[in-house]
Amino acid sequence: MVELVPNLLKQELEKLAENDKRIDGRSRWESREITLETNCLYNAEGSAKVVWGETVIYAGVKFEVRTPWPDRPTQGSLMCGAELRPVAGRKYEPGPPSPESIELGRVVDRGIRESGCIDMDSLCIIPGEKVLGIMIDIHVLSDKGNIFDACALGAIAALRTAIVPAERFDIGEDYPLSVSMTPTMCSFTRVGGRYVLDANEKEELGGEERIHITLGDQGHLHSLQKGLKGTFTPAEFDEILQVAQNRCKELADLVNAQEE
Amino acid sequence: MNLNNRLFYHGMDGRRFGEKDMSGGQKGAELRLVTPGEAIGASSGGRVGSGAIIQGKEIIATKLGWVKQKNGVTSVDPINSTYMPRSGDLVIGVIESVRNNLWFAEVNGPFNGLLPMSLAPWKVEFGAAREHMDIGDIMLARVQEVDEAHNIVLTMKGVGLRKLKEGIMSQISVNNIQTLRGENNSTVNMLKDASDCRIIVAENGRVWVDGDDDGVELVRSVIEMIQDSGHKATTENEIQEFIEKRRNA
Amino acid sequence: MGGYGDVKLLRDDGSRLDGRQVDEMREVEIEAGILPAADGSAWVKHGLNVAVCAIYGPMEAHPRKIQRQDRAVIDVRYNMAPFSTSDRIRPGFNRRSREISKVTAEALESVVLVERYPRSKIRVEIEILAAEAGTRCVGITAAAVALADAGIPMRDLIVGVASGKIEDTVVLDLDKAEDNYGQADLPMGILPTTGEIAFLQMDGDLSVDEYNTCVEYNMKAAKEIHAIMVDALRRRYQSSNGGGK
Repeated sequence: MVELVPNLLKQELEKLAENDKRIDGRSRWESREITLETNCLYNAEGSAKVVWGETVIYAGVKFEVRTPWPDRPTQGSLMCGAELRPVAGRKYEPGPPSPESIELGRVVDRGIRESGCIDMDSLCIIPGEKVLGIMIDIHVLSDKGNIFDACALGAIAALRTAIVPAERFDIGEDYPLSVSMTPTMCSFTRVGGRYVLDANEKEELGGEERIHITLGDQGHLHSLQKGLKGTFTPAEFDEILQVAQNRCKELADLVNAQEE
Repeated sequence: MNLNNRLFYHGMDGRRFGEKDMSGGQKGAELRLVTPGEAIGASSGGRVGSGAIIQGKEIIATKLGWVKQKNGVTSVDPINSTYMPRSGDLVIGVIESVRNNLWFAEVNGPFNGLLPMSLAPWKVEFGAAREHMDIGDIMLARVQEVDEAHNIVLTMKGVGLRKLKEGIMSQISVNNIQTLRGENNSTVNMLKDASDCRIIVAENGRVWVDGDDDGVELVRSVIEMIQDSGHKATTENEIQEFIEKRRNA
Repeated sequence: MGGYGDVKLLRDDGSRLDGRQVDEMREVEIEAGILPAADGSAWVKHGLNVAVCAIYGPMEAHPRKIQRQDRAVIDVRYNMAPFSTSDRIRPGFNRRSREISKVTAEALESVVLVERYPRSKIRVEIEILAAEAGTRCVGITAAAVALADAGIPMRDLIVGVASGKIEDTVVLDLDKAEDNYGQADLPMGILPTTGEIAFLQMDGDLSVDEYNTCVEYNMKAAKEIHAIMVDALRRRYQSSNGGGK
């Protein structure tokens, strides 16, 4: 379902931007409040619930034992998928995975995979025969803006608290999955002509293109994505990248604080 | 709060819920929050209003809300409900589609309203409807007619009915409209005064506000406050105090 | 039902493996209004099961062919999250979910005053986040709380409960092991104030006497869960000083 964009909303967002204000009173680089809870679901080997403003998502980790790819006999695998089911909002409809949900899953997947936080060789059980596959599934329950950052946070938090169910697979005792880094995502949306951090649902509705940046522990870039219609300049990117450097650190600290 | 919860639990072995007074003689003691299926009175002699039905010898609540008894009529004032248009309602709509000779507007209810060319405030040539109002435009209209199957006809013929070109459109739950207005519009009038804004509170929960940034922000914060707590013990005084405080800040 | 008596599910003192008595249900926790994007919502934890439900509507029924001129249609989607079970579930079409969605919708249509909203649709989205036996019942309970939270008119709430048989003994509210190795399961959707039954399924092997005991247990549990549902709805809206508008 295509959402109707009231013209007055666009006008209002432009006027607010001119005066360096936002529709919910936040400053330009201010995020909404985040609550993170881990290990909250029975049956998932790692799980996280993220309440990001009024956006709510769950992420769950499952493992499987599988045959490795012939060209990489000692490497396990990681797969991250997101579901945007009709529960998430009025605009979501039932049916096969939408391009939006596939994009969401893949952008989160790339950030985690490319950071190298999982050593794929450590997932090998018997070279050429048995390796572990990790599957992260993300379930969006309430979309009130910026589901990307919430999903990325939930995915890495669930992963960092995951326990490999080795006993169930008959390969020894259960052990915590080794995750060497905490990649996190920061998203920016053009609202009223300028970028803001962590757009809410009104800003997304009346806004334009968005940029997603995933950074690792050293501040290195691991995944970038520009979505929706619109263009940006290199100078604009430099500005938001600096904001992302600080913000991603804070998000990583939030995840790491869960592991006491 | 916890005390109240415990009270509910003790009541649960009994027959129906809510037969005791939960409020312990505090403010608002005459108000009772009920859930669907709860008995709220005997059907003999009494009449039922909205949010309640007669089942056998009892009046049963059909909605989550506050029990209201007035002139022998028992009803439930719901906490949440969908806007269902009635003829004569003032509404703020968003144009969703345009045809040669009519507009469809989204009015915050299950069904779109139809505005025929003949009820528009302009002299419209056939095929030129879009020149007057296009998709996404906001309109202030009145509900002309609603039939059994929820077909809604809107009109823009009337004093003040127009396309809204400036200002902002905000939203409040239809059950909180009365709280925002206050008795005889006292609250909204006070808010207009304090914010120096023009404000229209439409029957479909849409609120139009036009003024300078600070004024709009004040109105927005009051709407938010009512949305967050309107169903709770917010009284007119509390809201008016809030406005007063913000005005002086 | 999985096996027949090959796994021991009752202790010598007659209590169950998790320490419950035969007529004791698992712990139930409910919160109303936890999904801000929805018109109404609920979160239910029943034992280790976790279900959430979001309500959208009433809205115009689309596509047109599902519209009913005299009433609203209730469009239920019961879905298990991929990580909700011990083996991951592949997302997508699933016969079991379709069947549960259908009978759940029909149960809800028996309590919702659907004739108030001709040509409309009320979307009921039930998502199982963690499954430990009895998810369809937890889904029904969540849906009822969410519908009330959304302000949808109903003549009663509806409570999902189940009883069953393990080691030739009738027990209330089967857990995972009891469901896997038990002999029968009887889930019901009960209208708590009238005692009517709007949802019924059963599989396994029950004598008429055993069936009657199951019904008796289910009725008892429905009253207990109803109290928790009412409490959740009240907690969301009742202010601490007991006042009202």
